[in-house]
Amino acid sequence: MKILKLPKEKLDFFASVVQQFGEVHAPVEQDGKYVFQRLSRWSEARLDYDRTILPPKKYTLPPRETLFQYRAGQGYLPSTEGLDKRIVLMGVHACDVYGLNLLDQVFSGRYDDPPYQTRRKNMAIIGIDCRPDGSCFCRSMRADFVDRGFDLFFYDIGDYYLTLVGTALGDDMVLATGPLFEKASPEDIDEYKRRSSSKRQAFQLEVEIRDLPEIFEMEYQSGIWDELGEKCLSCGSCSMVCPTCYCHDVADDAQLGSRDGGRNRSWDSCLFAAHAAVAGGENFRNSRASRIKLRYYHKHRGFVAEYGRPGCVGCGRCIAACPVEIHIGDVIAKLRGIQNAPSR
Amino acid sequence: MSKPSVGIFGLTGCAGDQLVILNCEDQLLDIAGALNIRDFLMASSDRDAGCDLDLALVEGAVLTKRDEAALKRIRRRSKLLMALGTCAVWGGVAAMDRDADRSKLLGEIYGDLGAGYDSVPARALREVVQVDLNITGCPIEKEQFLSAVANLLNGDPPLFPSYPVCAECKMRENNCLLIEKSELCCGPLTVAGCDARCPGLGVPCVGCRGPADDANVASALAMFQGKSVPREKIAAKLRTFAPMPGDRS
Repeated sequence: MKILKLPKEKLDFFASVVQQFGEVHAPVEQDGKYVFQRLSRWSEARLDYDRTILPPKKYTLPPRETLFQYRAGQGYLPSTEGLDKRIVLMGVHACDVYGLNLLDQVFSGRYDDPPYQTRRKNMAIIGIDCRPDGSCFCRSMRADFVDRGFDLFFYDIGDYYLTLVGTALGDDMVLATGPLFEKASPEDIDEYKRRSSSKRQAFQLEVEIRDLPEIFEMEYQSGIWDELGEKCLSCGSCSMVCPTCYCHDVADDAQLGSRDGGRNRSWDSCLFAAHAAVAGGENFRNSRASRIKLRYYHKHRGFVAEYGRPGCVGCGRCIAACPVEIHIGDVIAKLRGIQNAPSR
Repeated sequence: MSKPSVGIFGLTGCAGDQLVILNCEDQLLDIAGALNIRDFLMASSDRDAGCDLDLALVEGAVLTKRDEAALKRIRRRSKLLMALGTCAVWGGVAAMDRDADRSKLLGEIYGDLGAGYDSVPARALREVVQVDLNITGCPIEKEQFLSAVANLLNGDPPLFPSYPVCAECKMRENNCLLIEKSELCCGPLTVAGCDARCPGLGVPCVGCRGPADDANVASALAMFQGKSVPREKIAAKLRTFAPMPGDRS
């Protein structure tokens, strides 16, 4: 991996150059919160943001999309609208890169998902280092650092960004900027290491994931699930904002007055009452308790069995988005029988 | 495919749902091409007020004995009956305080003449006759109406989200009025389908579409009380358009 550095005051110039690789999107402020958005000018970008309301999955798996159009007697035509748009997503935190890497496994594994894969292929990722706040626990989830899934990754080392080049596309971006990037010196590396270790000390929230799948197994009948079921509003906010929640609903949108139409995909959540409802009126998860329990089991046990790691990256979005303050740190602490919940 | 015979009716209400249908200007020809609309007084005085119908769309709530008789007559005429709008589906604003003393209310407004009015406590359609399908909303969403008609023509039941407004609000990436501003937003309890129109404009959800599936009222009340909103105020707000889940059996 190539390691370079970029003078901070040249970042806007860098951003103007990478426009040739696609529409530049970055976090911008929206009434005190942040959202990934297309920049109309570089000064809108807020690279010191905490977290965006929605993770980058909104680019690869949009909340709503048409998969194909069907026409009676003619079969179907895959929808390609917008798929070829090239996007350079700047300022992605490590946890969100990790989230995308996990979604890649889901949508490129046993079941190929061409719309997802095309959008992902057309999106360049430029990561940026961050400082944890009270809801971040990416370090506990081993997602505070990524070694792949980005084209470039910037680490703040004072007057420069230490830059990891992750892909050939990243290298092309470096080359396109001419002499902008410099060679990193041993002092720069020392500064990176100093900051990296100081970041480790900055986490206020910790979750222990060793033996957690086994603890989940042991606590399947725990009363915690009923308590959570009484509290959960089934509003699905946590799923919508989760970088790794990928459940979706697929339904046909019939066109009035013909047999034609489109097949649409939209975000769904295992917390919704209708999620496990089937024809005939049966519902495999009628109670809220069974639904929120499934969400936790899928993230922390099912994912481990299927992909070798939990389906949680510790971004803290579910903590920020829950109207009734259900806190994953508290839930895991309770499951572990730890009396004092983690500090907030 | 022969065109189904359709009637569109209004009981007591603001006629806003029928207006949504008439406002589908770009699709009106498709609608007229696909359906044989036999009885739709708001659109045409040239109507067949007695024919059998395949589908009756009924807006408004039952607020008078005349409404009740009209609804029962419509039910007898039609194979399928679809409640159109929050009043028809849930009782709506008129049912907000329906347990109050009726004669007292009439007296307050109309004085001695009040006693002569045909006025009964508001009821949703399903409290009077069997209802086969529902499109809620105040008014209904045009897209839900069009997709319901298209689905029915294909022999499929309409499929609408039954989850809360919060989900659509997050899909639009709105700031949360409930969490960030502690506003009395009914999003977590109200059924989606409006694409979180009001929160998208910075206005808290007033619950005009009625409750979502499995709405957790107890937990929501506790949440609002935690934000120092008095229980009565929350309950009154939640009961504006529909009964609070658990109010009626």
